[in-house]
Amino acid sequence: MSVPSVTIAKNRLRTLIIADRMHCTPDMTEKFTKDVYLAVSKYIEISPEDFHLTVNRSDIRITFTGERA
Amino acid sequence: MSEVIVITSGKGGVGKTTTTANLGAGLSQADKKVVVVDTDLGLRNLDVVMGMENRIVYNLVDVIDGNCRLKQALIRDNRFPSLYLLPSAQTKDKTAVSPEQMRKLVDDMREDFDYILIDCPAGIEQGFHNAIAGADRAIVVTTPEVSAIRDADRIIGLLEVEGIRKTDLIINRLRIDMIKHGDMMTVDDVTEILAVHLLGVIPDDEQVVIATNQGEPLNASDGLAGNAYQNICKRLLGEEIPIRDYCKSESFLSKMSLFFKRN
Repeated sequence: MSVPSVTIAKNRLRTLIIADRMHCTPDMTEKFTKDVYLAVSKYIEISPEDFHLTVNRSDIRITFTGERA
Repeated sequence: MSEVIVITSGKGGVGKTTTTANLGAGLSQADKKVVVVDTDLGLRNLDVVMGMENRIVYNLVDVIDGNCRLKQALIRDNRFPSLYLLPSAQTKDKTAVSPEQMRKLVDDMREDFDYILIDCPAGIEQGFHNAIAGADRAIVVTTPEVSAIRDADRIIGLLEVEGIRKTDLIINRLRIDMIKHGDMMTVDDVTEILAVHLLGVIPDDEQVVIATNQGEPLNASDGLAGNAYQNICKRLLGEEIPIRDYCKSESFLSKMSLFFKRN
């Protein structure tokens, strides 16, 4: 059972949009997310599952409690 | 005092011009005085979509250069007496018009029209900046495809930076059959990514091509797209009409029968 093309499209698009909003390349967005996670985890006890990074057009939102706004 | 709306997208070919023409026709049918302005220098198309290509004497550049008065360049639509077209020029010089000149032209028209709809060219260069120069609000048109959505997001960001306070989204060319096969993004997928207010959804409809072939606007009863454009006009005029869920065929049928009963 192959992955529906729309799922591939959504994943690619999410990465693309973040990269465009941050003016960087798509592969850098993953590194960025990892770096931010590591920085936050130095000061706050968090787990990867609870950590979410949302890049909007004008701001970056970090949620670390697992609650989605 | 009029409302100036720029219809833009970033990506080409997603339906800006078709949308501009049909919203213009729909609003004028609601007895509003409307002018549609083609700002695509060198690749004018609004006149063709509206079937007015043989009636152009003067154009946007002529007015701005002072070669003619605005009234001489405005072409009245024979079908809708309160609808006017200001066609673009076929000049190859994309710098023939500046944002400042556009702003002044738009301000000169505000007195005479309820709505000024500005058809924006594709891209993000000067054509885009000219088109948004006098605008109060923007309608971003996209299709449910990766490239179009990506470009739409970029455009929405630019509109925010340029101070356009109100931005609405139209999702065009929705293919319900493809959504059901998992090959097209849903309306919710698109609005989740773009995060702007959804003004309307227009399904893919052969009638659009047929209408352009004939140089006619779509009628509200001409099928799904025509009906969708009419609903968008009503929303612009302040009526609250929920966005139809095209994927629920049952409720669609009952809504269509309601539509015919009311009319």
